[in-house]
Amino acid sequence: MAKILIVDDEPHLRLLYETELRRAGYQTMTATNAEQGLEYVQTMQPDLVILDIRMAGMDGIEALQRILDMDNTLPVILNTAYSSYRENYLTWSADAYITKSSDTNELLAKVKELLDAKMVES
Amino acid sequence: MSTRPTNAYLDALARQSLAASNLAQFIVAADWTVMLASNGAARLFRRSRENLEGLLLTSLIDNFSAIAECRATGCPHEGCYRQLDLKIGAATAAVEMHCEKYNDAAGVSFRKLTLHDAAALAARDALRTARLAKLSLLNQVSEALYGAQLSLPQVLESVLIAMTAGQGLRFNRAFLLLVDERSRTLRGEIAIGPSSREEAERIWRDLADQPNDLYEMMTSYDLSLRETDVAVNDIVRRLKVDLADEDHVLIQAMYSRRVVHVTEKDTSPGLADVRRWLGVDRFAVAPLATRRGAIGVLIADNAISGLEITDLDLEFLQLFANQSANAIESSRLTEELARKVLDLRKAQQKQKEDQQTLLRMERLSVMGETSAIVAHELRNPLVAIGGFARALLRNLEQDDPNRQFAQIITEEVSRLERIIHDLLDFIRPQKMMRRVVSPDQIAVEVARKMQPALERGAVELVQDLQASTAEVHCHPGEIQQVLQNLILNAIQAQPEGGRIRLSSRSLEGGVLIQVADHGPGLPKDVAEKMFSPFYTTKSAGSGLGLTICAQIIKAHGGVLRGENLAEGGACFSFILPRPKVETENGE
Repeated sequence: MAKILIVDDEPHLRLLYETELRRAGYQTMTATNAEQGLEYVQTMQPDLVILDIRMAGMDGIEALQRILDMDNTLPVILNTAYSSYRENYLTWSADAYITKSSDTNELLAKVKELLDAKMVES
Repeated sequence: MSTRPTNAYLDALARQSLAASNLAQFIVAADWTVMLASNGAARLFRRSRENLEGLLLTSLIDNFSAIAECRATGCPHEGCYRQLDLKIGAATAAVEMHCEKYNDAAGVSFRKLTLHDAAALAARDALRTARLAKLSLLNQVSEALYGAQLSLPQVLESVLIAMTAGQGLRFNRAFLLLVDERSRTLRGEIAIGPSSREEAERIWRDLADQPNDLYEMMTSYDLSLRETDVAVNDIVRRLKVDLADEDHVLIQAMYSRRVVHVTEKDTSPGLADVRRWLGVDRFAVAPLATRRGAIGVLIADNAISGLEITDLDLEFLQLFANQSANAIESSRLTEELARKVLDLRKAQQKQKEDQQTLLRMERLSVMGETSAIVAHELRNPLVAIGGFARALLRNLEQDDPNRQFAQIITEEVSRLERIIHDLLDFIRPQKMMRRVVSPDQIAVEVARKMQPALERGAVELVQDLQASTAEVHCHPGEIQQVLQNLILNAIQAQPEGGRIRLSSRSLEGGVLIQVADHGPGLPKDVAEKMFSPFYTTKSAGSGLGLTICAQIIKAHGGVLRGENLAEGGACFSFILPRPKVETENGE
């Protein structure tokens, strides 16, 4: 069962994504900020990371660079309320950029796509 | 030795000085014996001085009694004056006699008589009166020119009116020529005066109805209403002399700064032309000069009356011209100043408007940013509300009455999200994301775009592309930007022209791209700092070009390297990653 790390400082959203991802059959873990997220990437070896960008403390963009420094094969989805970060090329090294929506189908589809690709790769 | 001249010497000097006088002067004893006579006296009596001395005045003047008839009881200190008609031989001399009475050391009385020529005195007085009149005229002119706040054309008209008016300088015609800096010529500007005697008489008749006061006339008279000046204005438009023609009579007059009186006898260069234009042989030219230099000339003549231009006329024409020149200059400066003030005011107005626009835009921009932030901040709670409403909807039985409520929440949240999406997200299409592309295609495209810059720099771009079948995972626009930047730097490294090699090689992990030039290479200190923000060797560079390039390559998982080639020149290189799927396929 694939392990998915959710990094978001909004508790309700963490709960929503956990609920939806578990229902889809994934194992989930959540981090409430970027620093904790980086720690879990190292200690818990997730298969995929869903990363919010605007968070207190370290933001998702820096967290993304650090995650790729640690393991550049780890799929990362940037999931944010801010569509404008698409213009920042530092976000382009993410595997996907999804604008947050109450309809989680796009997110779930992308998660599946990336995990499938990863599975084939390895 | 004495330090003072001797009395005997001074006596001799006083004698000499009286003798040398051109006035008719005598020293006569109480019995009217001439003791001493001046040169002027010798002329009056047509005898030598030596001959006069020792004679009795009674023997020289037939009606001597007129002199002796002094009824004064005591002589005033300053002497007294008397008008006399003296009969000398057959002639009568009207004189004004100044008589001073003195006593010598011993108390012996004698007189000093001075006889002034009454006719000469009268002429001098007349001249004085005329001068006074002209001076008062000049005063009026000056008041009109400076006091009345006239525009430049009005000043020019006033000058001509003053030159021709009966209360003014009384010339028949006047022409005004000004220096035209653009064409470097002295050009006729405006003229005033009748074209025939009949016309002149009519004008003079009409003028009787005009105000008598020159000031009034100069400030209220409208030249444009006068049709009679057509002929002279035709003439003045023909007057044009090259400033370089320094021998020309008009140019000479202008630069000599002295009024020139041209008569029939004169023959100077250009004179024939001017005579033909004006149709007269005699005229006066007065320079218009200010402290800053010559600005033109005034020409005046008496073409209708044929009257002689007198020395007094010339003298006043000169004074008048000086005043006119200054008035013209001051009017020009005033107009220039007014124009500048207007320009300044316009610029200020524009600046004010710009400021307001800027302020409005700033306010709008702040409003826009604020609403964007608010909209974004709304998104998170909406996602939670809508997301859980969907979960709820999913979990509720088909016949649960709450299903409808969950449905409504879901739909309303979706509506709000759509509004936010339309507001904020529509501008950024998905194509900003990375794609799988051919690196050689990017290189060819860049080469095409850079062609004009290469041609300008006389630099040849050699395309050595050998990765035509390879694909890379990148943001094509950004890689184009990197290549353009590197090629631009390479062009600038070879200011005399040269060659750049753009090459691609397919490697195991990706595609190697290189940009190499034949310039001087990278100095050691430059190589260390060139990727730092704001470091630049160019006078107009931002110092961000290579920094951004390096960051773009870094975001693509690579490193941008700059090194010097063994054969000379600098080389920049980076590797673009292959698509992950392709890597898998290759294995």
